[in-house]
Amino acid sequence: MVSHERIQLEAPLAPDFQPVVRLIIGGIAERVDFGFEEIDDLQLAVERLLAEAGRSGSVSLTFDVGDGHVRTRIGPLSERSIADALQEPSPPGELTLRRILQTVVDSFGVEEAADGRIVVRLEKLRGPT
Amino acid sequence: MGSDRAREQDRELLRRYHENGDTSAREELIQRHLPLVRSLARRYAGRGEALEDIEQVGAIGLIKAIDRFELARQVSLATYATPNVVGEIKRHFRDKGWAIRVPRALQELNASMSGAIERLTVKLSRSPSIAEIAEELETTPEAVLEALEVGSAYSTVSLSAAPSGTEELDPLETIGEEDEGFQRSEDRAALAPALQRLPPREREILRMRFEDGLPQTQIAQRVGLSQMHVSRLIRKSLAEMREQLS
Repeated sequence: MVSHERIQLEAPLAPDFQPVVRLIIGGIAERVDFGFEEIDDLQLAVERLLAEAGRSGSVSLTFDVGDGHVRTRIGPLSERSIADALQEPSPPGELTLRRILQTVVDSFGVEEAADGRIVVRLEKLRGPT
Repeated sequence: MGSDRAREQDRELLRRYHENGDTSAREELIQRHLPLVRSLARRYAGRGEALEDIEQVGAIGLIKAIDRFELARQVSLATYATPNVVGEIKRHFRDKGWAIRVPRALQELNASMSGAIERLTVKLSRSPSIAEIAEELETTPEAVLEALEVGSAYSTVSLSAAPSGTEELDPLETIGEEDEGFQRSEDRAALAPALQRLPPREREILRMRFEDGLPQTQIAQRVGLSQMHVSRLIRKSLAEMREQLS
């Protein structure tokens, strides 16, 4: 049983720092006993979103950790095209960002920030043990 | 395999394959020369990659050599295949970016991880947790995470290089021949041209993961790679596709 905890991270978007973000996500997900593949899924989801968010500047990530789940918030992001990509249904057979997230996380959504930017929410649940 | 008799048998099998399209002859050639692949793969063991993964990569070089062999050549298949196998293995290491100096202990831990994950997945009938992998390998969860990250690294150089599948036939192409999923609507997809440039094996792995929704463990079984290798290929393929768009 893991108490609810929040981890906040401000990370550079530069690709060199992606392994650092992956490592931190791995450490967080390990605390709630995610399996190897579940960790990999969450890392991939965040990695793909950060790749869409650009390569300069920084991004805020918030991880809410509870028993058997990790809820992640990424943003605010200026790239509203991410919201469009996540909200438009994926045509059959197309490999879109939306399809990738549909495969690797349990749920996701987009929130409008007050300044017109967006925040992406991801939820990943631990599978049966 | 070094005897004249063995060489003659090879030539006969090569004739059957290249002149008559006899795929069973091709399969027999592969089986006959797998010991050569294993022997060459062992030279590259202990560099942070599981031996079974190196052998699988080496087998790709062998199959390419068999497919490209010209009957008019006066060399044995073993002689012709050796640089192909070694080249494939070297390319694999280069693409993985092992040129980045990684502490030997982490490389060794990463190398043993693939086998541990496979064993635990079978034993537990699910993907093992980091703590379980750590226990299996008698190390700490933090070390496992670090070693996983080391293993998941791929060279950013390779992302800007020409896609490896554009010039060479991938032996696993057979599993992607009838790619009726992503490929069917590629002309419409934003990522389509980038997807099309991926080697057939990588395209098929993406199709299995994101269209069929198969877990990495099942994909790994189908394509004959370790789960860690499948994970790396998925990440690398998606990154390559994104890179090509930008």
